[in-house]
Amino acid sequence: MRGESVLYSIFGVAIALTALLILYPAYHALELSFQDLDSFISEPVWIGFDNYVEVLAMPEFWNALGRGMVFSGTTIVLQIVLGIGFATLLDSAIPAKPLARGIAVLPYLLPTIIVALTFQWMLDSTVGVFTQIARVFGYNYIPWGESSGAAMTVVILLSVWIWTPFVTLAFLAGLQAVPGELYEAARVDGASAWQRFWHITLPQLRPVLTVVLLLRAIWMFNKFDIIWLTTRGGPLQGTEHLPILAYRKTFELYEVGQGAAVSAISFLILSAFILVYFYFFPLDEKE
Amino acid sequence: MLKAKDTDSKTLSTIAAGARGRKSSRRTVIKGIGAAAGAAAIGLHAPYVHAATKVIRFLNGEPSAESVRAMRFAAAQYEKESGIKVQMDTIPAGKAYEKVQASIKSGRPYDIATLIFVGDVLILADEGKLVPINDIIKKYEWGPRILFPMKGNNYWYPYDYNLCWINCRQDLYDAKGLKAPQDWAGLMSNLDALQGSGEGQLPHGIVHPIGSNGATNYTAFGYMWANGVKLFDDNWNVVLDSPEIAAKAGEYLDFMNEMTKFMPPAPVQAGWANLVGDFQTDKISHTPGTGRLIDTMNVRMPERAANVGSFLFPSKGGGTFAVNHGYDGWVVLDTAMTDEALKFLEWFSDEHLINFLHTSPVHYQPTRLDIYEDARWQAHPALEQFKHITAMQKQVLSDKNIIIRSIDTEGPEPDVRAGKVFRSYALPEMLQNKIVNGMSNADCIKTAADKIRATIAG
Repeated sequence: MRGESVLYSIFGVAIALTALLILYPAYHALELSFQDLDSFISEPVWIGFDNYVEVLAMPEFWNALGRGMVFSGTTIVLQIVLGIGFATLLDSAIPAKPLARGIAVLPYLLPTIIVALTFQWMLDSTVGVFTQIARVFGYNYIPWGESSGAAMTVVILLSVWIWTPFVTLAFLAGLQAVPGELYEAARVDGASAWQRFWHITLPQLRPVLTVVLLLRAIWMFNKFDIIWLTTRGGPLQGTEHLPILAYRKTFELYEVGQGAAVSAISFLILSAFILVYFYFFPLDEKE
Repeated sequence: MLKAKDTDSKTLSTIAAGARGRKSSRRTVIKGIGAAAGAAAIGLHAPYVHAATKVIRFLNGEPSAESVRAMRFAAAQYEKESGIKVQMDTIPAGKAYEKVQASIKSGRPYDIATLIFVGDVLILADEGKLVPINDIIKKYEWGPRILFPMKGNNYWYPYDYNLCWINCRQDLYDAKGLKAPQDWAGLMSNLDALQGSGEGQLPHGIVHPIGSNGATNYTAFGYMWANGVKLFDDNWNVVLDSPEIAAKAGEYLDFMNEMTKFMPPAPVQAGWANLVGDFQTDKISHTPGTGRLIDTMNVRMPERAANVGSFLFPSKGGGTFAVNHGYDGWVVLDTAMTDEALKFLEWFSDEHLINFLHTSPVHYQPTRLDIYEDARWQAHPALEQFKHITAMQKQVLSDKNIIIRSIDTEGPEPDVRAGKVFRSYALPEMLQNKIVNGMSNADCIKTAADKIRATIAG
């Protein structure tokens, strides 16, 4: 009985915090999306779905959505592939394994602002390290900020560099739970390394993969900091995705209602994705 | 307060005695805790007493150590004289508007705040969050294009012009016998003379950021203003792509495109750091900027600072010049402390503004004309040392051939629409379309004009 009351108390605190820090802000954002507002202190005017109609009619919204898909899709695939590869490598009999595992996690420990600023200077067209290396090979500089494709490639590579260690760690933990007997039996049966990976490792990692894919999808679709700090959505909106569009509308263009509408639509898209994802990849597969 | 402390100590003794061996019942412990809680409640009167002190909450948007120090000194002085505390929070000026909004929404608005966009001031004034400061403004004579009155009222106290001009290496100019350029051809000629690997030459001539950022908005369009380009007519119609203005804007685009051969590669990637760093490290001979560059160099590399010259953005044909407007100012919010905030602002304006301006003497160009004649302001040694630059600053205020403009102050009157255009980056994108994408002038200008129309319609 006493244990139950403690449990309910903890649960109550969690519910209260969720309501205060997540549900109320989400409700407020939704409320703002139905209002015409120049600023957060303006007198709100209820305009129904007008903001949604305007936002959905804007080419920049659809372009931003497309870029968000490209950014999140590419980063997730690369992170998963590299993460599984590194995890497998770090799980094998390599020398100085603890040290290698520690080094593999390092990028994840760095604050995003540090990574963004450091890479900006490394890519600087005058004094950047990469620029100096490019000059050795006869190139004047790397025009990473001059085309949308190049800028998008840079933010994708940076994102992969920073967040692949998280995926690596998750898969490494998953690999510890794979029974060694399975591999021994496969070896006895004459399975090659690739066959062992494909028929044992990957299926065994499926529960981890399901969770990691979901988490990375949510995080990368909403990822704001690395793009904002590196390109601010440029050049010519070439890296502007929905979170940056929402920020610019809300905080730079005096269109708080439209910014909130962009956020709400983004939230709906992500929610729909999660529902579909759970339908096809249910976490609880006991049945 | 003393009683509370006594009660506290007795209670603690009781609990401690209990803990030292005498058998303590649950009742004793509960009583002890109850007494301690009561004592603590009595003790809570202490901060209440302190809260009775009047406090003016001031959001400072000038984060340099010198400026903060000057502000804090003034605040301490004011508290000493009036008994009213000035509590100062400091953030980068670009974030001040968001912070002001948050303070209003949280129910604890700042009493005075720094703002750097007319559009922000206008929105706050329209919402009734600001009080007019007409009486303070009337006390002084002001320079041109700085007060931005709104519906007959002055809602902000501008403290510096923050003008952008072009700084150059005067020592290299002197060595080559060059003069400040009077037109675009003259500037090109000077850039050409100083670019190279020979004696008295540097790798590049100038840097102009062209990316979608504040550095571009602030430093890249001086030539365009000098060439007579306007964004709006008197009725807020976009005239950038009108035949007369488009021709001038096209000339500007061609000029900027041609000037890239004197710039370090990838001006899209350039920002504030390049404007300062490339100049200080001998990579460029010219850089657009303010007096902040000179003040900073004067502290860290005074012998180099002495070699900095300055000139205004020239026009294509000469005869007219421009500076890009920056401006910073303070507003007084409508709060319970408004009257006290107004008194403080007036006191600061009379007693300490000059000290504050002296924290970056060349950069903080006074907006009040009386300050230029004030012996206290003139007494700063840097103003004597860089009198050629301060003379140029003064000339800007009186010479009819010098245009003071900026994207966010375009239009027939102060309006949030100009602020939206500033933050839409329509004009930096016009430059990118020309220089990076190689679009025709007509297409660049049309694209920019359409974006401006869409932006101000929203």
